[in-house]
Amino acid sequence: MSQAVATRPVRELLQWPAAGVTRVPMQVFADPQIYAWEQDLIFRGPTWSFLCLAIEIPAAGDYITTRVGDTPVIAVRRADGDINALVNRCVHKGSIICHQAKGKRARAPNFVCPYHNWIYDFDGNLTSIAFEKGIQQQGGMPAGFDKTQHRLTRLRVATLNGLVFGTFSDATPPLKDYLGPVMVAHIERTLHGTPRILGRYSQFMHNNWKLYVENSRDNYHPSLLHAFFSTFKLNRLSAEGGTRQDAKSWHHITFTKRYTDKGDAAYDSGMIRAQKNDYGLKDPSLIDQWMEYPDQITNSIQSIFPGFVLQQILNSLGTRQVITHGVNACELVWTLIGLEEDTAEQTQVRVKQSNLVGPAGLVSMEDGAIGGFVQKGIAGDLDKQAIIEMGGTGVGSQPTRATETSVRGFWKVYRELLDV
Amino acid sequence: MSEPVAAPAGLQVAAAAGAAIARLMTQYVNAIDNDELERWPQFFTADAWYQIVPRAAFDQGHPAGIWLCDNRDMLEDRVSSIREVNVFEPHVYRHVIGPTEILGESGGVYRAQTSYIVVRTMQDGAMCVFSAGRYVDEIVLEQDVALLRKRIVVTDSARFDTLLVIPI
Repeated sequence: MSQAVATRPVRELLQWPAAGVTRVPMQVFADPQIYAWEQDLIFRGPTWSFLCLAIEIPAAGDYITTRVGDTPVIAVRRADGDINALVNRCVHKGSIICHQAKGKRARAPNFVCPYHNWIYDFDGNLTSIAFEKGIQQQGGMPAGFDKTQHRLTRLRVATLNGLVFGTFSDATPPLKDYLGPVMVAHIERTLHGTPRILGRYSQFMHNNWKLYVENSRDNYHPSLLHAFFSTFKLNRLSAEGGTRQDAKSWHHITFTKRYTDKGDAAYDSGMIRAQKNDYGLKDPSLIDQWMEYPDQITNSIQSIFPGFVLQQILNSLGTRQVITHGVNACELVWTLIGLEEDTAEQTQVRVKQSNLVGPAGLVSMEDGAIGGFVQKGIAGDLDKQAIIEMGGTGVGSQPTRATETSVRGFWKVYRELLDV
Repeated sequence: MSEPVAAPAGLQVAAAAGAAIARLMTQYVNAIDNDELERWPQFFTADAWYQIVPRAAFDQGHPAGIWLCDNRDMLEDRVSSIREVNVFEPHVYRHVIGPTEILGESGGVYRAQTSYIVVRTMQDGAMCVFSAGRYVDEIVLEQDVALLRKRIVVTDSARFDTLLVIPI
């Protein structure tokens, strides 16, 4: 697997600060060598990455293409209903095999590389090579060429409530063990019916992928950066809420409960930019919602290491998948979800609340820019360190959102996987 | 009075109506590009529908795009949010629109489509083709003023660079 790591240990280039997870060397956001290691040690390492929704490939032969880090991947539905995932790279010359975003292999359960028509079955076995025996006894592959020695890399696949995950590593624990019971319960709670797709788009961001993932775990910023929520008292830190993690702090949930806001002097003093008492919606129907969950949670962001987010903003449900685009850029693929069980009115509420999220989201649009602000800010100062001390120096669940415990959790895992 | 503009055979569009629609198209993009966003809602009827939907989602019939206002008050709320709430690097748009094709008329409602390109210029001078696509419109005439009853902005790309805060 890792040529980069084999030739040069990560620690030679990256010495983590003695202060541990409360300090993050800015170098990790800008060094192409570290980025290459991350591809091997994180995305192709012992982690589960989100691939797609099971409903995107409902029938046998349906496939969808995606990426795990930089690596192109095909997820395909087999005749027996299971899902396979294969690296989308022909063993011959390296061309991608499926060049469509999604499709259906209706005629035969195989993939044909468009370049020289090498054919693979859904398990990734190389089953046919065009002109293998030559043409009229001329040319062809050598007699000793053994097709069984060449195959598409196959990922392990696991699904949970319609979410399809894949992993490259045999060392990755089973998905439910990887997630832990707290994360599994929250996924089951959020996706409490049969998902259906309401919308899909992506957001290209000019920052290292980790800056977005940190942002998704950062409880501290939403009410400060995202003024829309604070203005309407939807997400003030004084509202009841908190941070949950799995036992190892790999994953994270931040949540708030809308109707328990008790108010707080720091907000009401006018010192926080978000607070604008003279601002009001002409049409407040935008934030109409129904209490969908018995736990009264109105907002929750669940971040699964390394790059998956399950979102509930009021009744707007969705998945966000982080795709790497080199050391200085990444892409966030959003899929908005409804449930088959929804009434027409509930669907309409979800569709209307889609205004809150995504690249044009009244609440979340700033997340598309803020990582780029950091990427610009750190240029020239890669020897500096970020300070991650809000809420203490440790990791673990906390009954507050005035904390960066889950950001520290991210760096704890990161250090474990890179061994730095 | 009834000079036909480009239209399917049999569809006669009065010259005055065609001219009003052309004015709407021009004034709409100029208002946005000249940072007169407060004028933007005025191009719509009170019960207007404005949506930005990626082409793939539009073709697949997905109900949600990246922006949806189902009345003019929501358009005004968007303008307030842009002016007062959202945080973003200052930038401007330049729209270039193609000729409007009027697809049909029924009960005083004109269906039309118009291609557009938006070039975005950031404060540091960086420019990009931010969006290209088409407007799919329903237009009504009030006196000699054309108003959008429905505008679906169908973006050719489903990928948006950084964020989309200013309307298209």
